[in-house]
Amino acid sequence: MKTYLAIIKIDLKLALRLRTVIFFNYLFPMIFFFTIGTFMGAKGNPEHATTVVTMSVTLGILGNGLFGAGIRSLQERELGILRRYKVTPITPTPLLVASMVTGWMVFMPYIIVLLTISHYWYLMPWPKNPLSLIGFISLGLITFRSIGLVVASVANTMQEGTILVQLLYFPMMFLSGATFPIRGSVFTVISNFIPAKYLVQGMQDIMLKGAGFSWKGGSEVWEAAGTLLVTLAVGLTVGSKLFRWEKEEKIRGSAKLWVLGALLPFILVGLWHSLHK
Amino acid sequence: MSTPVIAVQALTKSYDKLEAVKGIDFEVAHGEVFGILGPNGAGKTSTVEILEGLRPRTGGEAIVLGFDPERQKQQLKDRIGVCLQATNLPAKIRVQEALDLFASFYTRSVSSEKLLNRLQLWDKRAAFYETLSGGQKQRLALALALVNDPQVLFLDEPTTGLDPQIRLEIHGLVEEMKSEKRTVVLTTHYIEEAERLCDRVAIMNEGKIVAMGKPSELQKQSRSKSRIQIITAQPLDLATLPQWPDMIEQDQDTDKRILNVYSSRPARTLFEIMKWLDQQNIPLEDVHLKRPTLEDVFVELTGKQLRD
Repeated sequence: MKTYLAIIKIDLKLALRLRTVIFFNYLFPMIFFFTIGTFMGAKGNPEHATTVVTMSVTLGILGNGLFGAGIRSLQERELGILRRYKVTPITPTPLLVASMVTGWMVFMPYIIVLLTISHYWYLMPWPKNPLSLIGFISLGLITFRSIGLVVASVANTMQEGTILVQLLYFPMMFLSGATFPIRGSVFTVISNFIPAKYLVQGMQDIMLKGAGFSWKGGSEVWEAAGTLLVTLAVGLTVGSKLFRWEKEEKIRGSAKLWVLGALLPFILVGLWHSLHK
Repeated sequence: MSTPVIAVQALTKSYDKLEAVKGIDFEVAHGEVFGILGPNGAGKTSTVEILEGLRPRTGGEAIVLGFDPERQKQQLKDRIGVCLQATNLPAKIRVQEALDLFASFYTRSVSSEKLLNRLQLWDKRAAFYETLSGGQKQRLALALALVNDPQVLFLDEPTTGLDPQIRLEIHGLVEEMKSEKRTVVLTTHYIEEAERLCDRVAIMNEGKIVAMGKPSELQKQSRSKSRIQIITAQPLDLATLPQWPDMIEQDQDTDKRILNVYSSRPARTLFEIMKWLDQQNIPLEDVHLKRPTLEDVFVELTGKQLRD
């Protein structure tokens, strides 16, 4: 346990010492939040305010997960930092767990500030199920961090990792409903396969429809949460199995298909939606 | 030798078709500083990384502190210290934070304050890693290797790329570890480092150990000759010089004031030369005796320079 606590403590300190972390976790989403909020006329319009909050949180989670967890892990491997850890008795598990916990601790204050500003500035009502909302956002965050760690595990270089992250980031940003409403049957079908769609959908259900984990009518939330949870489990398992300490340890090209493995729950749910709804 | 701390038998390591280590055997005793010398690609890093539990072996046996480095790597890593050739830590980690973090990885640890003082890093304890000089970073790397009070230390080219002053400091630290009866395995390119620090050395070439023993023994076994260099105030006529005892050959430089005498027993030869110069009233300006070095031994055995 002392190893876990020590890594979490140092990860948190290191994160807060980096200007890029501060900018991409707090300032950039906040600028985005106010710009889009003003553009959409969110003030006094709870539905628009909720949409802006959902957008902002989704972009924050995607950035924190894919760039924060994935790219940082790749950087540590490329710089030889993980190689130094490798000669000690620690296993990948404390590093992966610390990455999850630190990402959550860095991101959660932003959520609290965002909801508070939305309530007082845009006059958005407080969510009816705040604990469900926080729980769902937390689940979404650690799930996307686990996807980021899978990317870090399968990418051999920073260049490869950046390409993989962008291949995931942009479709999730534009085809999940996070930035533009999904209209048209083709885009609707495509969006069923986009992981971030379930994040957006779950948050909107909780914030707009008052759904929650204890609410009987919250099946959509449970579906989204279940999909995220399975992805988290697959992501952590794959991330741990394929964890590499050194850049010299290359993996086979076919191992990159594990990224699809981590996304399999979304592919299955997407198929189910496309065929049954 | 009592029960060895490290025992290696018929160890092999292959990477696809490349055989990096080709069946080597050696033992390292408690408290011994054992050097592994060799040029790049000799197989020394593969050997050491197998012993550290970082790489699986292809064949043979290896035991370190009673543990199999492949099957009991966590237990082994808990008891050994490793100083990599190039250590890197997060840019924004402070020196003391790094020591405290690494201490948390082990079941036992020594106080970071003690290590900071010992490695002369106390004044830098609050400095970010990115602000440290090369020598300070290497001292921190050594401190991290000592954080679990290890019984066996693996030092992989600990002074490569450092300036001579820092290199001497690191040599002093290794000598301290030696005086504390820690077992040290040192890989190096620097011959003077091995000569100064190691009780025994193994010279590796193309995956094999081509010579092993105390540095002085290896030097004695060398076919290379000791060279006596005499510099006189006036020119000497080579044709009129006597045949020195145990001399193999001799030559002169162009102005005939520098005489090189190659001998199998340099002390006796030198004594005779001095006596003759005195009898002839020839003023002596300088004298040098150069014995074969480990580098000479290495070149003789492999036909390569150590830093090839």
